[in-house]
Amino acid sequence: MNFKSDQSEIQDYLNDAANFKGKCERVYLPESVDDIVKIVKSANSNRKKITVCGARTGLTGGAVPQEGLVLSTEKLNKIIKISSEEKFAVVQPGVFLSELNEKLSELNLYYPPDPTEQNCFIGGTIATNASGAKTFKYGPTRNFVQELSIILPDGEMLNLKRGEVNAKNYILSLKTESNNVIEIGLPKITMPKTKHSAGYYITENMDAIDLFIGMEGTLGIITEIKLALIKKPAKIISMVIFFKTESEALQFVKIVRDLSKKYPGATDKINARGIEFFDKNSFKFVKGSPGLIPKNTGAAIWIEQETTTKSQDAILEEWITLMETNNINVDESWIALSEKERKEFEYFRHSVPSQVNEYISRNNFRKVGTDTAVPDNKLEEYYNYCKQTAENSGIDYVIYGHIGNSHIHLNFILKSQQEYEPAKQLYKQMCIKAVELGGTVSAEHGIGKMKREYLVDMFGEEIVKEMAAIKKTLDPKLILNIGNIFDPGIFN
Amino acid sequence: MKIVVCVSHVPDTATKVKIGDNGKTIDPKDVTYVVNPYDEFAIEEALKTRDAVGGEVVVISLGTDANKESIRKALAMGADSGILLKSDSYRDSLSVAKALAAEIKNQEAQLVFFGKQSVDYDAGIVGQLTAELLGFNSVSVVVDFKLEGEKITAEREIEGGREVIETSIPCVITAQKGLNEPRYASLKGIMAAKKKTIEDKEAAAAENYTEILTMSKPPAKSPGKILGEDASAVPELVKLLREEAKVI
Repeated sequence: MNFKSDQSEIQDYLNDAANFKGKCERVYLPESVDDIVKIVKSANSNRKKITVCGARTGLTGGAVPQEGLVLSTEKLNKIIKISSEEKFAVVQPGVFLSELNEKLSELNLYYPPDPTEQNCFIGGTIATNASGAKTFKYGPTRNFVQELSIILPDGEMLNLKRGEVNAKNYILSLKTESNNVIEIGLPKITMPKTKHSAGYYITENMDAIDLFIGMEGTLGIITEIKLALIKKPAKIISMVIFFKTESEALQFVKIVRDLSKKYPGATDKINARGIEFFDKNSFKFVKGSPGLIPKNTGAAIWIEQETTTKSQDAILEEWITLMETNNINVDESWIALSEKERKEFEYFRHSVPSQVNEYISRNNFRKVGTDTAVPDNKLEEYYNYCKQTAENSGIDYVIYGHIGNSHIHLNFILKSQQEYEPAKQLYKQMCIKAVELGGTVSAEHGIGKMKREYLVDMFGEEIVKEMAAIKKTLDPKLILNIGNIFDPGIFN
Repeated sequence: MKIVVCVSHVPDTATKVKIGDNGKTIDPKDVTYVVNPYDEFAIEEALKTRDAVGGEVVVISLGTDANKESIRKALAMGADSGILLKSDSYRDSLSVAKALAAEIKNQEAQLVFFGKQSVDYDAGIVGQLTAELLGFNSVSVVVDFKLEGEKITAEREIEGGREVIETSIPCVITAQKGLNEPRYASLKGIMAAKKKTIEDKEAAAAENYTEILTMSKPPAKSPGKILGEDASAVPELVKLLREEAKVI
């Protein structure tokens, strides 16, 4: 089996998109399930830690090792099957999301989860329950995962199919391929009513598969994934709408959100599939047509709606009326009806985080960016709190994000290393405020190694200990992805 | 002033093109067509010029009904009216230029914008041929354009620098990337475009002086060779670089 141990060859594996750094002895590149089982079994007997890594596009250090071995899924990169009739795809974890999307598009199929970063592996999106712009309409990755094959930390194989195994009164009973039964007690917690990707997903009668979606590699190694697909939408209208102030933008978001939720499946009524936000500061990072942003713009939103050739004109008229009744300058809006221009708008939006992350890496800073979400009725209060907190600090910042889900990314744009600690303090305050308002400390990036203390802020130490006990049950020798979600000290 | 902008309807550069069974044209199946990217700069400059000096912008495209999609896009950006010169057989650059020149003359336009080339056949000559046929001045590959009264000051890109040209209307300008930043259509522009007229006309007949004999894709790149993973492979690498690739 291929591995790399020359330090000059493994540098790429010691960093992620948040510029979180690590170290390791060796990087394995398994090409089969057998290869993985061998690595896992040998690591168990030698007590070596394994960190599973995908495309390293994560933003929390989850794929970055602290010691021991790295198991990269890059060679497990096959699309095993796509069924147009039954609308599903079976893939290995190392398939790029962009590659899957390209293949599906040719077959007139569509996989809605759309984390901003397209160069991620599907495996990574399962491990973090990735979401993104289209989560507003379609929900996160979890909603599309039908089956998972997983190698548990002791080398046993576990196959899970949605709908087959459910918890009873917070107790899950898992049966491995070799008929070993593992019983897991779940903490009695309530999930926030927002997008959420902090710690394990737990509900009273949960489907077993959901425990492994968003587990950040701590409970097993995903080797095969069956994803549900839908038919590719016939037409997409994409719009960028400009506002004088953020408050006008947030007001409009509320109106669009309420209308969209009235008729969830409609293609002939106002029904956004994503509502994305940019504050004024984001425009400094935007690429693709920044010169066309109207003067005196205080904020912008990017909206996409699916429709049909037949309904398109009527929908456009509805949007014009809606914008005019809300005093929006319709002439200054941008609209794309072709795929080429839709992609340009997408690039316009996606360029903000990529340029922010680029700035962080170039200056060798660490990312300080919120991933918090709050219930919809608290969005304005939370937005104003974060903005005011950042404004008062004197540290530069940008705010963008998936505003349709009341999920915002406030990123501090540090000017020097000295600003890191104060920014981190403010970040913590913002996490605590989100929890106070009934929200989450991480809506999509996960906890990884960078956000562990905020998970404790959210659930309290006892519950986090109970979550860690789940890991201990499945990984008694503590070899897999140690440091993700839980501070290693918790296991002592 | 009447300003004409000539627009080509071309395969999207992101499309994977296949050669048709006749070996002389591309297979249009599954190909997405878009406004020729260089023509977007031409449209934007025509609109800016109209907004500054008044008048109207007429979009002309030569081809089939499918070209109306690109005409409609220019109308959505703000052009006033469109003309489709109907022609469904292959035409070489001179034949296209003759048909366009006839219509531009008919329109009595004083200023004509083209993209510097269309990205399908890449001939890069239709603008200049049209100027010659009309007896207009012509500046090509323009990255900066000013019109004061009848005087035109245009900057064009040349190898390693720029040159500034002064001329006057009537004139044909071919646009290069960098001339401006083409606007996106607004919601209202899209709806307004639906009400604007696109006139169908037969393209003036003109014979071809050239003919496409065959069309083929570039040869596929030969796969790379891995000679080894450590220093022991270096002598072989040097030998191949010297004898096979002939680069050292």
